[in-house]
Amino acid sequence: MSHQLGRVVSVILQRYFGENVQKVGDDLFTYGSKPIALLVKSTGLSRIKVVESLRTLLKYDLAMFEPTPNEVIADYRLIPENVLLMIRYPRYLLQIKTKYGSEAEILIEELLQKACSTATVLLVSIAVKYKDDKEKNMTIVKLKDIFISLITAGYIQQASVAELKEGSEIPTLVPVATITPEIDVRAVIKIMNSGNLAESSDNVYWKVNYDRFHQDIRDEIMIKAITRRIDENAGELLRHMLQHMYLTSPAWAAESTLVPAVELREACLRAAADKPLLNQYFDQYLKVLEESGCGTVRADAGGRGYSVRGAGAARGCLLALLEGLVTERLGYKAARIFRIILDKKYIEEDDVQKNAMLPNKECKELSYKLLEEHFISLQPMRKTASAGGMNKAVYLFHINLHDVAHTVQDMCYKALGNVLRRASHERAAHARLLDKQRRVRSIVHGMRLRAEPQQNIDDVEETLTPSELAVLQGVEKRLKQLSAAELEIDKNLFILKWYFMYTH
Amino acid sequence: MAGRGRGRGGSGLSLTTEQIQALGVTRGDNAPPTLVPPPLFPKLEKKPLPLICDAATDYMLIVKDQFIEYLHESPAFVKVKTETDGVERYSDKYKMLALDAKQNKLLDCVWVNMPTELRPQAKRPRTVPRKRKLDDPEEIAKRLQTLEKKETLETDEAIDGKKKELNNENVDEEEELEDEHEQEYELDDGTDYANNYFDNGEDYEEEDDNLDDGPVY
Repeated sequence: MSHQLGRVVSVILQRYFGENVQKVGDDLFTYGSKPIALLVKSTGLSRIKVVESLRTLLKYDLAMFEPTPNEVIADYRLIPENVLLMIRYPRYLLQIKTKYGSEAEILIEELLQKACSTATVLLVSIAVKYKDDKEKNMTIVKLKDIFISLITAGYIQQASVAELKEGSEIPTLVPVATITPEIDVRAVIKIMNSGNLAESSDNVYWKVNYDRFHQDIRDEIMIKAITRRIDENAGELLRHMLQHMYLTSPAWAAESTLVPAVELREACLRAAADKPLLNQYFDQYLKVLEESGCGTVRADAGGRGYSVRGAGAARGCLLALLEGLVTERLGYKAARIFRIILDKKYIEEDDVQKNAMLPNKECKELSYKLLEEHFISLQPMRKTASAGGMNKAVYLFHINLHDVAHTVQDMCYKALGNVLRRASHERAAHARLLDKQRRVRSIVHGMRLRAEPQQNIDDVEETLTPSELAVLQGVEKRLKQLSAAELEIDKNLFILKWYFMYTH
Repeated sequence: MAGRGRGRGGSGLSLTTEQIQALGVTRGDNAPPTLVPPPLFPKLEKKPLPLICDAATDYMLIVKDQFIEYLHESPAFVKVKTETDGVERYSDKYKMLALDAKQNKLLDCVWVNMPTELRPQAKRPRTVPRKRKLDDPEEIAKRLQTLEKKETLETDEAIDGKKKELNNENVDEEEELEDEHEQEYELDDGTDYANNYFDNGEDYEEEDDNLDDGPVY
C-alpha cells in the first residue's frame, strides 16, 4: 500500500469515472474502510453523490463492503488491485479476439461494460446493438454458443450470490461454483422481440474471470520468452507442456506435477506436420529446454517426466525485466555490474571492478548509483578477530530480489501515475479544441449519412483551421504515446505481480 | 542510533570516516557544496528506448478509448456539479438537457448484492427498536408472579394495596401496559441506560437533499 499506488488508483478513477468517484476512492484508500456517513463528512460531497460513487465502485468490483457490528450500515473498502486491472481491459479484449474471434470479443466487452449481467440481458443487448449490422450477422443462437464455450473455457464465471442473514440489512457475497447453464434460445428471442428485459426470469449473474485471462497472458509470456531464447520449436514444446500441465496441476502452482515425456512425444508426433524438426530432435529439444530455459522446466531424475516451474519462469522474467530497466536507466555498463553482482550473490567492491573490466572510478560511480536507486544493497560483514581497536569490516554488494522487485513496482506505479496525469493535463489544456473536433466529426458523419453534397461537408470541415488541425495532431500523437506507455507499464506490473505470487 | 552519539555507526545507517574510506571515498573526493537548488526537471542522462507501436497496440488503444467513452456516457460516471461563471450562454440550454437526461438514468446494478442503504429509494437506515422483554404477555405474567412472591415475604401491611393493583394488571394487561412499563423500569435497574438511545451518527450535520428519503422526523 504505497503512496504511489494511492496516486495511481486516484488518477485511474478520475479518468474512468470522474472526480466524485476519485474523491471517494481516495478517501477509502487512505482510511481503509469507512461507512457512508463518515465518507460524506470527509469528502465534503453530498450524500447522494457519495452513494452514487459507491454504487459505481461496487458495480465494477472496485470496492467491497462488510457489515458494521450493528448490522445496519456497511463499511466500504477499496480494492486497489482491481482498479489497476482496468488498465488491462484492452489486453483482455485483444487476447480473446485473437483466440476466439470478434464475436467473443464483443461478448466479453459487453460483459466488462456491464460488469455483471444475466445471460439473457447480455445476449439480448448485444443482438439488439448489432441488429442492423449485416456484416457481423449476430444471431442469438450463435452468440449463445460462444457464450457457453467461453464459460466452459473459464473466461466467464458465475458472480457471487448475495446472502442475507436474519436481522441484517447488509448482504454477504458468497462465491459460487460455475455451472454451465442451459439457455433456452426461444425464450431469449421472445424477450428480444418483445423488447422488455424485465420479463426474463433469469437470475444467474455472470462476470469476467480475470484470472483465466492472466493465465493466458502468463503462458504467452513464457512461450514467447522461450521462443526468443531458443527457437520456435522449443516454444511449441513448452506450449504442449503447458497444455498437459493444466490437466493435472493448479494453474498457478510454483511447480507442476510431472508431465510424462511419452505424452509429450505423442503430442509432438501429432503436430509433426507443422514442426518436423521438433519431432526429429525431440530429445535434444527437451534437454536444451531444461538446461537453458531459465529454470522454466525441470526434469525428474530419470528423465521420464518434466515439470513446469511457474516460480522459476517468473524469476527469469523478473531478472530480464530488471536488466532491461537498469540498462535503460543507467546504461549498459551499470547493467554489467548488476549482472556480475547477481551472478556472484555476494561480492566485494574490488572484485566487481576486476570482473566488470571498467576503470576504477567509473565502476565505483556506477555501483553507487545502483545503490542509490536501490537496485543493489550493501551487506556489512564485520571481521571478528580484528587486530587493534579499529573496526575492520568488509562491505559486500548484494541483490535482494524481493526488495528490488518492490522498488521496481513502486517505480512502475510512479511512472503510471505520471503518464496518466500528463495525459489528463494534456486533455484538459486542449479540451475546447478536442470538443470542437468531436463536434465537427459528428456533424460530418451525420451529413454523410444524409448524403448531403460534398461541398457542404467541406465547409463544415473547414471550420477547423489549419493551425488548429496542427495542434490537434500534436495532441493526438502525444496522447497516443502516453496510452501506449500505459499498456507497456502494465505489462511490467503483470510480471512483478506474477513474481510476488511465489515469494512473500 | 541517536542515543549512542556519533562515531559508533556500526550497523547503523550512517557510516564512520573509516568505513567511508573503506568504501573508497577519500577526503579529497568530496564534492564542492552546491549553492543553487537542483533543477526542477533535470536533464535525462539516458534516453528511453522508443515505444513499440504495432497494430496490436493501436487496436488496444482504440478499444480502450471506446471503453472509457462508454463509461463516461453511462451513469457510472458521477457528474460533478458544475459551477456557472454567471454568463449565460446559448449552449447552456443544450448542456443542461444532456445533463438532465443522464441524471435521470440510474446505474444498472444488481441491487440484491448491494447494502440496503445504496439501493434506490432506500430509507435511511433507522435503528430497529430492540425487542423488549415485556412485550410478551406471558413474560409479564411470569414477572408479576415473581414480584408477588417477593412481596409476600415482606411485611403484610405495606403490601395489601399494591397486591390488588398487581392482580388487576394480571387480568387486563393490555389496558395498562403503558403503566406497567414505567413500573418495570423502576424495578428493573432504575436507570435509563436500558433505553435504546443508539445513534449511528447518520443524521449528524447533514444537509438533507435526498428527497426520496421519505419524511424526516
